Amino acid sequence: MSDLDRAIEQLRACRLIPESQVRELCYKARELLIEEGNVVSVDAPVTICGDIHGQFHDLMELFRVGGDVPDTNYLFMGDFVDRGFYSLESFLLLLCLKVRYPDRITLIRGNHESRQITTVYGFYDECIRKYGSANVWRYCCEVFDYLALGAIVLGASSELEPTSSGMGDMTQSTMPVDDGELETEVLNSRGEVTMSTYRPRQRSSSDASTDSRNISPPRDISAAPGQTAAPTRTGAPGTGASGDGNGSATTCRTGAVLCVHGGLSPLIDSVDKIRLIDRKQEVPHEGAMCDLLWSDPDEIEGWGLSPRGAGFLFGGDIVKQFNHLNGLSLVARAHQLVMEGYKEMFDGGIVTVWSAPNYCYRCGNVAAILELGEDTSSGGTVARSNGEYGRSNGVGANGIANTVVSPGRRYRVFEAAAQDTRGMPAKKPVADYFL
Amino acid sequence: MASRHSATPTGHGAVSPEMKKPNMISVGGFRIATQKLPILKAEPIEEMTKQLGIAPPEMIFGDNHVTIEHEKTGWGIDFNAFDALDRVDKTGQSMLQVAYSKEWQQSREKTHEGIKEVVKPFDWSYSTDYKGTLSPKARPFEDTEKPIPIELLKRPDPILFFDEVVLYEDELADNGIAMLSCKIRVMPGRLLLLSRFFMRLDNVLIRLRDTRVYVDFETREVIREYQSKECEYEKVRQILAGTRDDIPALMRDPNRLSEILPIVEKHSERVVLAG
Repeated sequence: MSDLDRAIEQLRACRLIPESQVRELCYKARELLIEEGNVVSVDAPVTICGDIHGQFHDLMELFRVGGDVPDTNYLFMGDFVDRGFYSLESFLLLLCLKVRYPDRITLIRGNHESRQITTVYGFYDECIRKYGSANVWRYCCEVFDYLALGAIVLGASSELEPTSSGMGDMTQSTMPVDDGELETEVLNSRGEVTMSTYRPRQRSSSDASTDSRNISPPRDISAAPGQTAAPTRTGAPGTGASGDGNGSATTCRTGAVLCVHGGLSPLIDSVDKIRLIDRKQEVPHEGAMCDLLWSDPDEIEGWGLSPRGAGFLFGGDIVKQFNHLNGLSLVARAHQLVMEGYKEMFDGGIVTVWSAPNYCYRCGNVAAILELGEDTSSGGTVARSNGEYGRSNGVGANGIANTVVSPGRRYRVFEAAAQDTRGMPAKKPVADYFL
Repeated sequence: MASRHSATPTGHGAVSPEMKKPNMISVGGFRIATQKLPILKAEPIEEMTKQLGIAPPEMIFGDNHVTIEHEKTGWGIDFNAFDALDRVDKTGQSMLQVAYSKEWQQSREKTHEGIKEVVKPFDWSYSTDYKGTLSPKARPFEDTEKPIPIELLKRPDPILFFDEVVLYEDELADNGIAMLSCKIRVMPGRLLLLSRFFMRLDNVLIRLRDTRVYVDFETREVIREYQSKECEYEKVRQILAGTRDDIPALMRDPNRLSEILPIVEKHSERVVLAG
């Protein structure tokens, strides 16, 4: 067993690794991250996660619900540290996994991965408390500076493989199964479907063969939470791909998915502009990099200033335009607490994913992760256009409508893990003689 | 490794099952009740947003409350998030700005002439002068100079009932904290409730607004005292720099800050309920 595997095992047990090992780990991580672009390309299937905030036991619960690394391909959208009591254990474990399985886990930067924020919101104090000096904090901050700013998910399937279990009384369907393709599904932590939505098929008549998936054997999600999408398809890859990928006039594809921690920026009108940022620095107080990590969607038109005097808010029209120009079907972001664990806005153009259940050990919210399946209909090849579908394959240039379809989205919702209460706020408030 | 154990909400903080029913006690003719539930879900938040006219704080415990009722007269006072938020400035007149706002805006002037409009301005620090909601037929308070009898409250009388209830909290987009919470302790002869609004806008301002409600069960006298304190962040930091304590920790501790911050407003009222 390698040192790294041992470190992973130790961190999984919520035990810290020695300072010298942290230094080495951070060094290796930096070497790895420096090779990544500002926007990492990730192939579906992938499981997208939001804020963790040092809630280590809940991160373990997340892995239980979503499957372990490397069985499941993960994308974490930042805010690993601060607020919770185990920022170190959480971040170091994720970092170990990144170094051990670089192609199976992607980490992008959140606004809390910053020197300034961590000194105020707990991570710095935790490092001092647990290691007795600021060294480990310094090593981690150096890693923060190298984290990617975003990711593009390619090759996601527009349609979900139906989940077998739990289609009982709890299920609320918008349409009968026969008439549409499964677009979104919400599962609880036991793998039971609690909600599903369908959309009408948007296919040319020659595509009838794709219905082969309906005879796919049901999958037992709870038995194999790590295996998302592809393996159980009965139809051979490519059988449903009639014309797709050949520049067919009626092409109907799943757009790419942009993942960032906060949101969009008025300085960024294309994904390529993100690639031009010099990211290897502390998160600045202004500029495009700051916006990507800090901004929020809101029910407004266009761009707005936050009433706080710094930071942008963006409306549905901005998201729609950005997605259209970049061949995206969805922006996935984190950054804001949502009680249900996820929140889709603007006709599904953007989704907030929140992965810290019972946030700060007192909010009582559930958390969610978002699974995007792999599109195997075109023989498993992935269009590597990095969010520039329209331009790169020339369909747009011909003036032929290129329908970008949103990916099938499976949300797994989970609750806070029971955990030992060392260092936790008391369950019942302790009576005191306050005045 | 984590095991299967999360089928039901688990046992800490706001979600523990025994907290789901209101906690209650009747002492000396008064009924005291508290309720603690998780933050609101999307739908009630939307409803609340509509009714308030402003976006509620990030963590909104809209079902939580603390109530004191005099059983005989029906006099009662309740502390809840909605009524507290309804007293937050909704016009934007008393709007604060985060520490780096100037720097941020200057950098924007060159690049984004177009985006100057603050959407939906309001006091996003959620500062409230909330003193509780009186029941409809409650006898009103009258101004008084009479202070709350601190000495009686310092006595180590047994505490029959104690609770702490958060009504709302906001991280001010990682620029500090705003929090409204209520503490209540009930002794055999009296009770004290402290509703505290605490706001720290990093590098800008620290604000504390305390409402204390004191009830003497025997005389049925209720005293309500409101105190508003605030001070610039930097001044507080300088005062604390003289101590040998952990300054960042002190800046997060409203109890210690309360000793330092100057009073900007103070107001006492009382009412005696019919026997």
